[in-house]
Formats: sequence, C-alpha cells, structure tokens
Amino acid sequence: MKVKLWKPMGMSVAALALGMSLIAGCGGKDATKDSAPSASGNQTEASADASSPAKAPVKVTFMNLWAKDSTENIAVTVRAELAKFKQENPDIVVVEESIGDQNAYYTKLKTLAASNDLPDIFISKGSELAMFAQNETVASLDDALGEDAAWKDGFLSTAFNDLSSGGHTYGVPFSMLATHVVYYNKQIFADAGFASFPKTWSELEDAIAKIKAKGITPIALGNKEQWVAESCVLSALGDRFTGTEWFTSINAKSGAKFTDPDFVKSLAALQNLAKAGAFNADLNSINNDQQKTLYFNGKAAMFMEGSWAIGAVSAAPKEIADNTEVAVLPSVEGGKGNARATSGGAGSGYAVGIKGYAAKKDAITKVLKAMSGESFAKSLAEKGEPAAFKVGEYDKSKVSPLSVKYAELASQLQFTPIYDSYLSPALTSVMNAGLQDLLIDAVSPEDLAKKIQAAYEKES
Amino acid sequence: MSRSSSLKITRVGLLGLLAPSVAIYTFVIIVPLALSFYYSLTDWVGGPTKNYIGFRNYSLLVHDSLFWHSFKNNMIILALTLIIQMSLAFLLTTLFMSKALRLKELHRTVIFFPVVLSAVVVGFVWQMIYSHDYGILNSILRSIGLESAIRPWLDDPKIVIYSVTVPLIWQYLGIPLMIFVSAVHGIPKDIYESCELDGCTGFKKARYITFPLIYDTIKVVVMLCISSNMLVFSHIYVMTGGGPGTSSMVMAQYAYKTSFGSMQLGYGSAVTIGMFVISFGIVLIFKRLAEVRV
Repeated sequence: MKVKLWKPMGMSVAALALGMSLIAGCGGKDATKDSAPSASGNQTEASADASSPAKAPVKVTFMNLWAKDSTENIAVTVRAELAKFKQENPDIVVVEESIGDQNAYYTKLKTLAASNDLPDIFISKGSELAMFAQNETVASLDDALGEDAAWKDGFLSTAFNDLSSGGHTYGVPFSMLATHVVYYNKQIFADAGFASFPKTWSELEDAIAKIKAKGITPIALGNKEQWVAESCVLSALGDRFTGTEWFTSINAKSGAKFTDPDFVKSLAALQNLAKAGAFNADLNSINNDQQKTLYFNGKAAMFMEGSWAIGAVSAAPKEIADNTEVAVLPSVEGGKGNARATSGGAGSGYAVGIKGYAAKKDAITKVLKAMSGESFAKSLAEKGEPAAFKVGEYDKSKVSPLSVKYAELASQLQFTPIYDSYLSPALTSVMNAGLQDLLIDAVSPEDLAKKIQAAYEKES
Repeated sequence: MSRSSSLKITRVGLLGLLAPSVAIYTFVIIVPLALSFYYSLTDWVGGPTKNYIGFRNYSLLVHDSLFWHSFKNNMIILALTLIIQMSLAFLLTTLFMSKALRLKELHRTVIFFPVVLSAVVVGFVWQMIYSHDYGILNSILRSIGLESAIRPWLDDPKIVIYSVTVPLIWQYLGIPLMIFVSAVHGIPKDIYESCELDGCTGFKKARYITFPLIYDTIKVVVMLCISSNMLVFSHIYVMTGGGPGTSSMVMAQYAYKTSFGSMQLGYGSAVTIGMFVISFGIVLIFKRLAEVRV
C-alpha cells in the first residue's frame, strides 16, 4: 500500500511545489522591494565609508505625496534640503517613496498602518494621526522635540495644534496653510458692478445673482472627491456662524452638537447658495482641478480652495492670473465667528512610524530637523509659501504677486480649525457624502445635521 | 493493480493532481474569506488590538440603511443589465445568423472591443461623455435640438444609477454575444433547414429553434452576469465615487469605503461577508428557478 501511495503523493508534491513556486515568484518582486528599506543591516551601500566597514549607513524611509517631478514649492524645497542633508550626513540614507495621488496615498498609508508597517517618516493629516496614535502605530515625538528646545520653540505657537492628540505631539509641521481662500476674478466682479469683494453675506448673494445674470458661473465647485465642499468651504463658513468655541467643544466631546442651530444655519447658507444657482451644475462630478479649469477659462467668477492653489493660479492664462485677487468669505448676519478668519493651520505634518523609531531615533530626528528647521523654512518662504517655522529676514524678490497678496491677507487672518484635520475619518466621510446631497437639495440642512450628529454620537 | 492501464487514474492519483489547484484556490479564496469572517467578528480599526465582539457587526449591518441602499443599487444595475444586455445580445446573435448582415467580422470585433479595455479607462471615457459642458452626449443633444433633454447626467441622484449602468452594459455586451454566437453555431444546420421548409422564418426561428436550443448557454451567461454585477466597482468608483452623496453607491464600494476610507476594518469585513452571502444566495435562487423551466 505504501509503495502504491508513494507515486501519486510524489506527483502531488511536485505539482504543488511548481504551483507554489509560481505564486511565490509573483510575490517575490514585491517582497524584495518592500524589505529593501528596512533590511538596513545586511545590505552594504556603495556610499558607505570604507574606513569604517562596521558602520553601515542608516536607512530612513520617507513616504510623501509629492510626485517625483512635482513643481510644488514645498516638494522642491524638501528635495533640495534632502540633497544638502545627504552630503552633510553620508551615514544616513533617506529612501524616498512618492505617491502623487492624494487618495491613493492615504489608502496606502492606512493599509500600511493596519499592518503596523508605517514608514520611518511619512506625511499625515492630524485626524489620521490621532487614529494611528490610538492604534499605537506612530511614535510620540515629545522626547525628540523636548531635547532640542531651539528647534521646538522655533515653530509658530499654533503649528502643533493640528498634530497633537491626547496631550502628545505626533507630527512635525512644515507649512501653514489655509484651506479656505476665495480666488476671484476682479474683472468679472467689476463688470457686475462690484469694485471689491463683498463685505457682507447679503452683498455676496447680490453679487452672485448679478454675475449669474451675465451667464457666468459665480462659483466653480468641483466636489467629486467630496472633501472640497467640507474642507475648503464649510470649515470656514461653519466657523462664521458657530464661532471657534463650538468646534472646540465638539472636538472635546463636551456638549456641543451638530444639530445646534448655528451649525444648521451654516449648512442652510451653503444650500441656499446652491439653490440660488451659485455653483456649476456638475459640481459633484468634477474634481478640484476641474473647478480651477472652469475658472481659468473665464467661465466662473471665483472658486474656493486652499492656499496651495496659489501656484496653479499664478501659472494660469495671463489675463486670468493678473485679474485674480484673494479674499475670504464675508461676515454673516448673527454669526458668532470672527469674519477675518479662515480655516487653516499646519493641516498635515511629518509623522514617524513606531517600528523604526526605536532603533533609528537619532537619524530620524536629524532628517526631521533638516526638513522643517530654519534653513528649510527660509527657502520655503523665499518661494512665497508660509512655513510653520519662524523665519527672520528673507529674499522676497522671487515671490509671485499673488503670493504677496495672499501673505498680506493671511497676516490679518485668524486661523480656525479645519474640520477634517480633527474629526475622525469615519465622521468626516459621513459629513462629506452628506454635503454632496445637501448641494443638490437631496437632503435638508436639519436632516443632514441629524445624520452627522448620529455618526458623532456613535463614536463616543 | 494501478498499473494495469496507464490511462486509468486511481482515486489517489486524481486527488494528487487536484491538490495543487485546490491549494491555490484555498490560498486565494478560502483563506481570505475565513480571515474576513474572523475580522468581521472584531471591532478592528487598524491597530494591533482586535477585540472579539461576536455578531454585533452583523446586527448593525442588518439595520444599516446604507448597505441596503447599496444592495438596491446593485439590484437595479443587475436587472437592467440582465434585461437590456441579454436581449440586445440575443437580438444581435439572430442578426449575425441572418444572411442580410454584411461585414460580420468587423461588427463582431467592434462590439467585442470594449471588453478588453480596462474598467477604469471606460469609466474615465464615459465620465467625459457625460460631462456637462464638454461632453459629447450633451453636444449631440444640443445639435439635434433636444436642449430640454440635457441633464447633469452624473449629478442628478434620480438618474445617476441609470447613467452609470449604461457603460457597464455597453462594455460587456461582447461577452454574452460571443457566447451566444458560438452556441448558435453549434446548432446543426439541418434543424434550421427543416424548419424553414415548414415555413418558420425570422422571429419564429429565433423563438422556437434558437432560444430553446441554447437555453443552457443562456443560463450560464445569466449566472456570469449576476456574479460580475454583484461585484461591480471600478466604473462607478471612477465616474462618481458613489456620489452624489451616496446615490450611486454599490456594495463593493461601500465595503471599500468603510474598510479603507473610514478604517473600520472589522465592520468593512462584515459588509464583505454580507455581500458574499447575498450574491451566493441570488445565484442559488436563480439556479433553482432555472431548473424548473422547460
């Protein structure tokens, strides 16, 4: 019996081995690619110093959302600083992984977090960081910051707000951005009889009606990816009505509700804009790049996006770029919030995966300093981008005119919380999807507020 | 005794040959399914801790209106695809069999061509077709004077689910068509000849000869159609992302969104298992129904 069994068994083993090796073969490539950064111990780098063969360079992985050929100011500045860092520190090798698409980036990040495989340094939003912190997959940077007071105190005092949770700091900020800026075409406004941007809400409604009557879309909105209406519009509009204290209370879970009349009023104001035809009809099926396209083609009088859009607007067709001014939403009647405010802050920052931190703390801290400290901040400021680190005097000659206008505006503004930097991803996704419905009048402000509140209560 | 005939295969030999494919199947289907089921019993949100919470996720799922809304959308897509795609494919098959149609090869290639395209590409192309200002659909409507028919195709929650179904029907029309055509080729010519002698032509030929003779093939095609439509994801993800709001959300996208958008991996797994159970149930019910007839 044994002999008889042997042959088919052998056959099966051979076939199995073949099959498995095929599968393993497919997976092999990924495995080597993924393990390369972490297997720092058994790989010798060409750049390693020959005189000290015992000391292999430390590898620090850095995952970011700036495409390799990105011309964004921040990406260019970080890469220049890293190149400089590489020359000064031959014993530290920074391995960059860049994913240009924001959605894909955060999907990958969350997947890595789920398997506790986060890179040594990565970029993350505050709300995600709070979740990672709860899951113990990111390292607290309290120590590293505490050890170097000059570095820590060099940051703007509010810069860490978005990146802390439970009393610990989990991220190092690099820039200060506003998520809500109104970019408007002053020519179109002048044609409609407005010499400057409306100062009150009713004036704005009036302007919208007049611009619409001329056959131009008053506000271009591309909310397909769902975050634009919330992050770039409602975060600021909501604060006009509720005031910042309300959100602080929401965030601390100390009494405020999404069904509070003030917040409902802000939803209603947004819906009224939509009902008045302020937006393009396909607002839920185009994205934020396409909303800029509408504006660049002169088909829309304004659009609302964060300060990151300055670069794109500066590169727009000349007659559009020259006519573009920046503003924020006007004050609203009975609003509790400051009218000279916009949603903004550090938004996101560098965070550190807990796995690599234990072994490579010093190297990681050095890289973080190079990418956020004074020399970085200065060269960022020279490109017209506000840094999170205080800078003294810098060369303003290369800054684009729009950046100067924005800097002037921003200096008068108070930054209020960006909703999706604080609210949990689950709650944000309910709110974002609901806003799409709100904008096409498929849900009433009251019902949406109830829905958001229900999701909020489910979490506590 | 096993050597008596080299062509005969023993039970053990059979198992031995089957083992590799079973092993692969186990690794890519059974194990992930079992793992998903395990995750669905926990409150896992992506950290190192997973707490066992029994069937609480499932009791939430049963009362989750969004899940049932997604299911309803899946059913709308499935029903439309079954009715329109199947009848179109059958109609085209009878056309292909008739002598009147010229350039059969060309037609076949053109109709089959979209099948080989990536779903994401098709999604993007149709997004452009539907575009409000630049889309070809609206410009055609405008040029033939049907301005009143212009709609924000992907922005109106009442019609969006139909708008996203059209590309699905269009892209995969080639598959049932190919299968039908080859099945019809398998029907002996003499049956048609004798029925023509009896004065049976055109529609009657299709109804009384072709349809009953390829009935088994139709069953297979319907089954394929059900299983692929329960899993539809990429087109809708690209075109609308489930929006506006949640009006074009389907089950696969809901599972993806809860798992990777909101990081509720435990609940997301429960959604996946729910999807699996429902799809399996529908296929079983269909099988039962199909056996009864003829």
